Amino acid sequence: MIEPFTPDPIRFIAEDGQPTQDLPPQYTPELLRELHRAMLQAREFDRKLINMLRQGRTTFYAQSSGMEATQVGLARSIRVGHDWVWPYYRDHTLGLAMGMPMMELVSQMLGTNTDTCRGRQMPHHFASRKLNFVSVSSSIASQVPPAAGNAMAQKYLGTDEITVCTFGDGATSEGDWHAGLNMAGQAGAPALFVCENNQWAISTNLRGQTASENIHIKARAYGMPGFYVDGNDIVAVMEVCKHAAEWVRGGNGPALVECLTYRVGSHSNADADAEKSYRTREEVGVWLAKDPIGRLEKLLESLGHPIEAEERANLIAGTHREVDDCILRAEASGQPDWRIMFEDVYADLPSHLRAQEQALRSEQEALR
Amino acid sequence: MTGTTVTATQEKQAQGGTGETRTINLIQAVTEALAEEMERDSRVVLFGEDVGARGGVFMATAGLQERFGQARVFDTPLSEASIVGAAVGMAVRGLRPVAEIQFADYMGPGFDQIISQAAKIRYRSGGQFTAPLVIRTPSGGGVRGGHHHSQSPESYYTHTPGLKVVMPSTPYDAKGMLKAAIRGDDPVIYFEPKRLYRASKGEVPNHDYTVKLGEAAIRQRGKDLSLIGYGGVMPDLLKAAEALAAENVSVEVIDLRSLVPWDQDTVLQSVEKTGRAVLVSEAPRISNFMGEVAYVIQEQGFDFLTAPVGQVAGFDTPYPYVQDKIYLPGPNRIVAACVKALNY
Repeated sequence: MIEPFTPDPIRFIAEDGQPTQDLPPQYTPELLRELHRAMLQAREFDRKLINMLRQGRTTFYAQSSGMEATQVGLARSIRVGHDWVWPYYRDHTLGLAMGMPMMELVSQMLGTNTDTCRGRQMPHHFASRKLNFVSVSSSIASQVPPAAGNAMAQKYLGTDEITVCTFGDGATSEGDWHAGLNMAGQAGAPALFVCENNQWAISTNLRGQTASENIHIKARAYGMPGFYVDGNDIVAVMEVCKHAAEWVRGGNGPALVECLTYRVGSHSNADADAEKSYRTREEVGVWLAKDPIGRLEKLLESLGHPIEAEERANLIAGTHREVDDCILRAEASGQPDWRIMFEDVYADLPSHLRAQEQALRSEQEALR
Repeated sequence: MTGTTVTATQEKQAQGGTGETRTINLIQAVTEALAEEMERDSRVVLFGEDVGARGGVFMATAGLQERFGQARVFDTPLSEASIVGAAVGMAVRGLRPVAEIQFADYMGPGFDQIISQAAKIRYRSGGQFTAPLVIRTPSGGGVRGGHHHSQSPESYYTHTPGLKVVMPSTPYDAKGMLKAAIRGDDPVIYFEPKRLYRASKGEVPNHDYTVKLGEAAIRQRGKDLSLIGYGGVMPDLLKAAEALAAENVSVEVIDLRSLVPWDQDTVLQSVEKTGRAVLVSEAPRISNFMGEVAYVIQEQGFDFLTAPVGQVAGFDTPYPYVQDKIYLPGPNRIVAACVKALNY
């Protein structure tokens, strides 16, 4: 039975990998192994992309290492391609788990001709029309009011879709966050708000954001249930998010889920080696011990279906090969040149942009 | 408003109907446009503060909730960030939202939604997602509203690529441009000069029509000076032109109507003919949109100019309360600027 406003995070798997309660029957070893694959693949994607950043082949990267259970679990709780997602910028694991091709993600990070966003945004700001995965904005919490509106439109159109809106803990300090939740609550819109509480907004921890004991209790003020879940427990995340998603889909209005997790990596390249400035290695160590992938591996082992070392190594090597292949193919496609710079500003090209395009054309052609 | 309106679009569209017209005021034109677009397209929804049963503080949406129901015309929480943000989300999901911000002065809380989401989502997603929305908002002074009910913030928005920014001054334009904005595929900030809501009366055709965004209107033909403005100051431009006509000065009066995109051709052709231009708006002078118009006139029309481009703007003070009428440009100040250009 999933209840909102629990004092402690809802949990199915303890940190030592032992079930804290009976797992629902659908969590067969096969499913658990599949979830493990998705999480480990995302972890290794992170590792490869950080290397790419360090090599100077891309200019920004926001790791989601340590948050895999939250993002994979959420992806497995919604109707992918049917429901809509207004994500935040640390959600590539969510994208991967929803089935976004690795090639699309890598292409966006590199801004190549294979990028479906046409090289218009800094790395890690992807979008997929096919998956109803709306373009990421860097402006924190600015996706929250639009997510409310997206859900209001779904209600108006009489669909059975829901809108998922993700954000970090820092976003909950923004006015737009409160405005969006209030609007969704007032409108009874089918929005599922998911806080990926990784406890750090760059160098500011949760205590620096709010005097509130936690995030999910804020839901009460907006007339919606607030669920509190161990975000490093894939089963708990799926159980809570599925419950909340179906509650929202059932026409009961919005819900908020707080997934308590941890950003084990740095925020981005802006604060590499965070442990030298704003947090301690001891704190990171505590959370590494709660790692979502390790926890699932311990569970599988106790169920008699361990992930064998060779299998694990093959998955890691396979992921690395796939990322390398994507990087090579993306880089080989080249980068969009100035010619597309003026497209997609408006539906049509207004005369002042046409004049500017012609001026740039003359400049660029003279340089040849 | 008096003065003839002549543009290719209007002439062409006038041919399409029965030729019958009615005289209405500017706010009625807004209401009619909204009602007709809602009738035409079920994706059009209206919302904002007090727009439902109350019909809006200026009555722009009067009777529309009763007519179209609460699902299509509804009041929102008092939150401009929510209103604009919700419009973005609705537009992305396939509706044609028309959001009312009660006063342009209150768009601040929704500013990030306008510049970070509405203006950029088409571009940043490579055209995968678009936000065809309209934000209607009363702007400008002259209603004794102090600085939080009188400002002209259009330049904040003209400075953001991806937005269309318009400000009609006649019922004909208000109706036709609002319909064009709703039917278009881009986000449009539609400023309504509130002091003209009832003061500006004019004929509108009985048949359906639109006014293309991006075209100026020549209100009065002339040969000695081009007097260019938009929004609430337009009646003052016509009064100034009338006063100058008494002195045998022939003034061409142009209503820009649309700021982004704006009609450079009509302005430059006029200046080529007259050799003099005076630009009028009531927004503060620094970074006033008319600075852009002046730049283009000197860049592309330098050889035609016989005098420096004149400008009449609001002062660079917060909009005052008691000195409301002194702050606004007004016919006398406009005439003085024209005389200066004529005597250069």
